[in-house]
Amino acid sequence: MPVLEYGKTKVNVDDEGYLVNFDDWNEDVARALAEKEGIEELTEEKMEILRFIREYYRKFNYFPILNAICHHVNQPNNCVTTQFVSPVVAWKLAGLPKPDDMIINILQGETPD
Amino acid sequence: MSKQPKPPKPDELAKSIEYKTPETQWMETPVKFKPGMWCYGSRPKYLEEVGMPNPREWSPADDDWKLPENWKEIVLDGMKDRLGKYRTFKLFMDICVRCGACADKCHFYIGSGDPKNMPVLRAELMRSVYRKYFTTGGKLFGKTAGARELTEDVIKEWWYYYYQCTECRRCSVFCPYGIDTAEITIMGRELTNLLGLQTDWIGGPVANCYHKGNHLGLEPHTIQSNIEMMCDDIEEITGIRIEPTFNRKGAEILFVTPSGDLFGLPGIYTCMGYLMLFHELGLDYTWSTYASEGGNFGFFTSNEMAKRLHYKIYAEAKRLGVKWILGGECGHMWRLVHQYLNTWWGPPDFLEVPKSPITGTVFENAKSTKMVHVTEFTADLIKHGKIKLDPSRNDHLKITFHDSCNTSRGMGIFEEPRYIIKHVARHFYEMPENTIREKTFCCGSGSGLNAGENMELRMRGGFPRANAVRYVHEKYGVNMLANICAIDRAALPTLMQYWVPEVDVCGVHELVGNALVMTGEKKRTMDLRLEPLPGMEDEEEEE
Repeated sequence: MPVLEYGKTKVNVDDEGYLVNFDDWNEDVARALAEKEGIEELTEEKMEILRFIREYYRKFNYFPILNAICHHVNQPNNCVTTQFVSPVVAWKLAGLPKPDDMIINILQGETPD
Repeated sequence: MSKQPKPPKPDELAKSIEYKTPETQWMETPVKFKPGMWCYGSRPKYLEEVGMPNPREWSPADDDWKLPENWKEIVLDGMKDRLGKYRTFKLFMDICVRCGACADKCHFYIGSGDPKNMPVLRAELMRSVYRKYFTTGGKLFGKTAGARELTEDVIKEWWYYYYQCTECRRCSVFCPYGIDTAEITIMGRELTNLLGLQTDWIGGPVANCYHKGNHLGLEPHTIQSNIEMMCDDIEEITGIRIEPTFNRKGAEILFVTPSGDLFGLPGIYTCMGYLMLFHELGLDYTWSTYASEGGNFGFFTSNEMAKRLHYKIYAEAKRLGVKWILGGECGHMWRLVHQYLNTWWGPPDFLEVPKSPITGTVFENAKSTKMVHVTEFTADLIKHGKIKLDPSRNDHLKITFHDSCNTSRGMGIFEEPRYIIKHVARHFYEMPENTIREKTFCCGSGSGLNAGENMELRMRGGFPRANAVRYVHEKYGVNMLANICAIDRAALPTLMQYWVPEVDVCGVHELVGNALVMTGEKKRTMDLRLEPLPGMEDEEEEE
């Protein structure tokens, strides 16, 4: 199983880089995951979004509605796409397991370019 | 699983469409699986969860599809069984005269130029096998009589092309015999499903729906939380706190909508529209966290699976003791309600003929299903002057309406959504006549084809629809494509971003929510997307 290393941190990830154990997550792990995604710095705004996603997922076994995330962390609308480009990247950095394809599609609505 | 490539740039894709006569006869032209034109095979867990045959890891890109040893017997027995059971199937296998009226009516043929996407030829893929094994002429004269052997390559060809058809039935509108080619695709999918040839994109939602009541796999407390989050936004916009009820016994009406409206964008804005309208009316209704899906991906699998998944809506209506069911903006849900429900079970006798508690209108058209489409319900409210509307709030939108295949060709809903739009907004423009109403062009992603890996197929299939949207965009400045289907709300934004990026997508009840004047509301400065309402900020400054 692939291992993600960041400083002293070592955690298991799947073949596509999603965290295997939800509870292995901490802010250092998030930074390591971010680096893999080409995100240089996890600012407090970004970290706040990730914390909320995790808190929500723990309780509801699901990803929160995008608007609600921004609402709860007091950030402008579209905060997730502004900060992470794709909500699926936020999903990954928050240490959630890989979502079903249907969720990926609904979240991304991305332009096939 | 091999990663599928992204489609080429729009202009390259458009240029690549050619309508040339193939060099070889169709039976001699082997099927070639083009990248981006097919969906991944279903993971075994999804098939196991609903007890479907032959669960295993497989990929359509592999030579070996790991079919059961007696696959041929399974398919031919399955065909025999269905020819006996479904008279339409038998009829449609027999009566086509190959006049070709349907050939250029299919959005997939228009967008791909592949002759096997002509509905007549797509059906011929199966008719040829039917002739070989079920007709005397075919048995005796073989190829001369248009018959061919069933081989593994034929199964692959079926699979490739029956998942390049959205069962939209536009071709049927033009068929002088009224052949419903969608039924042939449906049979093609039923038969290949007997061999475990499900797609992942359909298998996942089916399993989710079976376990959790909805395609997205939202659990009861999550559904409630999502709706409450929408109520938070409504409160911010209007100053009014809405408190909907869930699973409430004794409510007059059960409301069911596709789960896309509970999570996706722009679906949730449509859902906010429902919530606001029902609150303003003081409607005695309830949500269900069990019957939490209007859509039915089982319909894209087999008749039996569709039946299994559809049942929960009526079981829940009975359990809660409601009088009738109100259904949200969904596509294939309505085809099932309208065209299949009564054949499956007969009219539900534990419900009453729907009667609007606000206007007293009795929905005679829903006498046998006891289920009313929300646009019928809302159009009736407007007709009777029961809601106050301020259409100027939608003045920044130039709207056109996309008829969903299922609600238009499947149940004849043409006027209601248009009537609503014309009352909640002031700028409405129709797309060309041959692309709307019963001749509407499909979004290109229905019937379980709205996956990510077959994006080129989706962009090709959606091309005729997008082309008509581009026409009204260029002519009238249309910037909003309204619809009444959750698959449209999930698929059209991607299609628009690709072909006509200036046009956004919304449900009709989002427009209703924007225009609805609610009792005790604060001055609206934002629309349901929490975006500033153009013009409204200026007025504030002037004051």
